[in-house]
Amino acid sequence: MKNRFTRRDFLKLAGLLPISIAAPGFVNSLSSMQQTGKPQNVIIIVFDAFSAYDISLYGYQRETTPNIARWAERAAVYHNHHAGGNFTTPGTASLLTGTVPWTHRAFGFPDKVDDIFVNKNIFTTFQNYYRLTYTHNPAVNTVLTQFSGKIDEKVPLEKLFLTNDDFIYKVFGNDEDIALVSWVRAMKRKEDGFAYSLFLSRLYEKQREMLIANLRSKYPGGIPRIAVDNYFLLEDAIDWLAEKLNSIPRPFLGYFHFWPPHDPYVTNQKYYNQFAGDGFRPLPKTLDLFSVEQDNLFEFLLRKRTDYDEDILYVDQEFGRFMDKLDKTGMLENTWVVLTSDHGEMFERGIRGHWTPVLYEPVIRVPLMIFEPGQKSRQDIYASTSAVDVLPTLLHVTGQEPADWSEGTVLPPFAQTYDRVRSLYVVQAFHGEQYSPLTEATVALIVGQYKLMYFFGYEKLGTGNERVELYDINNDPEELNDLSTTKRETTAELLNEIKQKLTEVNEPYLNKN
Amino acid sequence: MKQYSKQGLWSLFLVCAFPLHLWTIILAFRDFSWVSERTNSWDAVGVLSYGLIFALIESVAVFLVTILLGFLVSKKWEEDRRNALLGNLVLIASLWAMASYLYFILQVSVSGQTIDFFVSLKHPLRFLYAICLALVGVTVTLPTYLILRSEKFLQFIKGLFERLSLLTVFYLFFDFVGLVIVIIRNV
Repeated sequence: MKNRFTRRDFLKLAGLLPISIAAPGFVNSLSSMQQTGKPQNVIIIVFDAFSAYDISLYGYQRETTPNIARWAERAAVYHNHHAGGNFTTPGTASLLTGTVPWTHRAFGFPDKVDDIFVNKNIFTTFQNYYRLTYTHNPAVNTVLTQFSGKIDEKVPLEKLFLTNDDFIYKVFGNDEDIALVSWVRAMKRKEDGFAYSLFLSRLYEKQREMLIANLRSKYPGGIPRIAVDNYFLLEDAIDWLAEKLNSIPRPFLGYFHFWPPHDPYVTNQKYYNQFAGDGFRPLPKTLDLFSVEQDNLFEFLLRKRTDYDEDILYVDQEFGRFMDKLDKTGMLENTWVVLTSDHGEMFERGIRGHWTPVLYEPVIRVPLMIFEPGQKSRQDIYASTSAVDVLPTLLHVTGQEPADWSEGTVLPPFAQTYDRVRSLYVVQAFHGEQYSPLTEATVALIVGQYKLMYFFGYEKLGTGNERVELYDINNDPEELNDLSTTKRETTAELLNEIKQKLTEVNEPYLNKN
Repeated sequence: MKQYSKQGLWSLFLVCAFPLHLWTIILAFRDFSWVSERTNSWDAVGVLSYGLIFALIESVAVFLVTILLGFLVSKKWEEDRRNALLGNLVLIASLWAMASYLYFILQVSVSGQTIDFFVSLKHPLRFLYAICLALVGVTVTLPTYLILRSEKFLQFIKGLFERLSLLTVFYLFFDFVGLVIVIIRNV
């Protein structure tokens, strides 16, 4: 019997080649569609500077999140989730690329990520989805602009501002950051009490005030804003978003990054003074080396924290309203929703905000909730997790190809197994050069119950220029007892791991200096 | 008789542009260090360049408003005198605008006694406005009177404007350089 491989056989096999290449992804897609029969949408909601520390769902004393708690009954709730960095740029870039800041290199403001990630980010992986983004935050806008080639609809940030300077973005589109800085310095008197412009700045101010005058009574503490006078309403953003989602092609991937509860911590009339005089006293903690100098510091921080907590109530109300809208339209039956933040905020140890070298839990522990389509019960996850895990997890649950460059892993309960003592890094390095070895930075390494903070290169550290702290964040979540002198072995082990990692990540940049 | 000659308008424009540019340059250099630290020196140069462009636009706007005011000035005075009046008005208004900013720049703190005094008044705001009006009134009317009545003072103002105009020509050159920098940054 003749058993020759003919030219016709070869052509038949060659015809199957594209199918064999596409098959694994197709099979994954099929598995993700099994439950509903069609591809599922993904919505990522990020509230900026939203610290898990101040969320009642995670144990905070003030009842700040009744609506989020209500919705958490239908979600996977992560109790020890950490941002990639301590402010917007590195935190958001970690979320969108699935990598640690020393890999994506967006350390400072207004850094972009390393060019290699223009084709390696969440938008490139969901290529068969309609990709829609919006952010209030200019720093996020910088990163999204970098990824815009892979975003089907990037809604301009001015779209949801009540007053805006969008001509700056239109006229100076290739240099918008510096053009905007100069415009702010030239025209916005309120920032410091003075401006470059002697006359037009006053007219400009009056014109903007007239536009928002009728809202003042609804926002007694001030109208929500970015910088001095980019006013917006979170209510408008939520209404717009809910409506928009009903009109875009399916399946879609939506990334929406809203400004509250970021400074200046303004809330609506309903929550204004909600916590004022409630007798809340935060745990006293010793002043940090990087604390600010101010009179009545404790009272100042308490007042700011109260404003922040009232702003969280506003966020909570609007997130609840958004989820109710999705529920009403039936979208939740076929949509994954992720609620998280890019970084936290702190009001202790003499430090307010997040623009600080310290990486204590309030500044890096953020909420993460994943709402599975049709989920009816709550799952609590206590293992330590990282922002870099969100991308691989979403790819996994929607049946996409894994992102081989990502430094994250699929999260429980969606992963078959999860290493509870894997190393999680949080990096702060906004003072250095973007593509140089890290010489002035803070690295937090979380392994299981332990967290080691390694500060180096700061002038304030004095001789040796190093500082090391070790905490057991499971048993001492307030980070009151530094164990670096009592648990020397663990400290040395973790410090050694950080230093080895630093050597590794600095290596490609050594010759560039 | 033409109300204003081209030469007169150009001189008036230079006088209008002078305080606006001077103030921008002072503040932009003040910002230079933090912008450099925030990103780099090229960006700090960028901030200065945009600032100069905005100052030029403001200069044109102030100049146009000044010209409109010029139509209100009687033609019975010769052009030099009218230009001196208008230029003087712009300079004094600019000085007051700078003074209001200096309050914040120098972080002037008002003494407790002064605040107590104002609080003790029945209408502290009205009192404050009255003081400001009096000060502005005096600083505007006195030079105006002298320009109209004193030939010596008019010559002094004209001499001053000539010197300021020369400086402004340099500033306009900086504007041009700033414009080139802005274009380079945006291509």
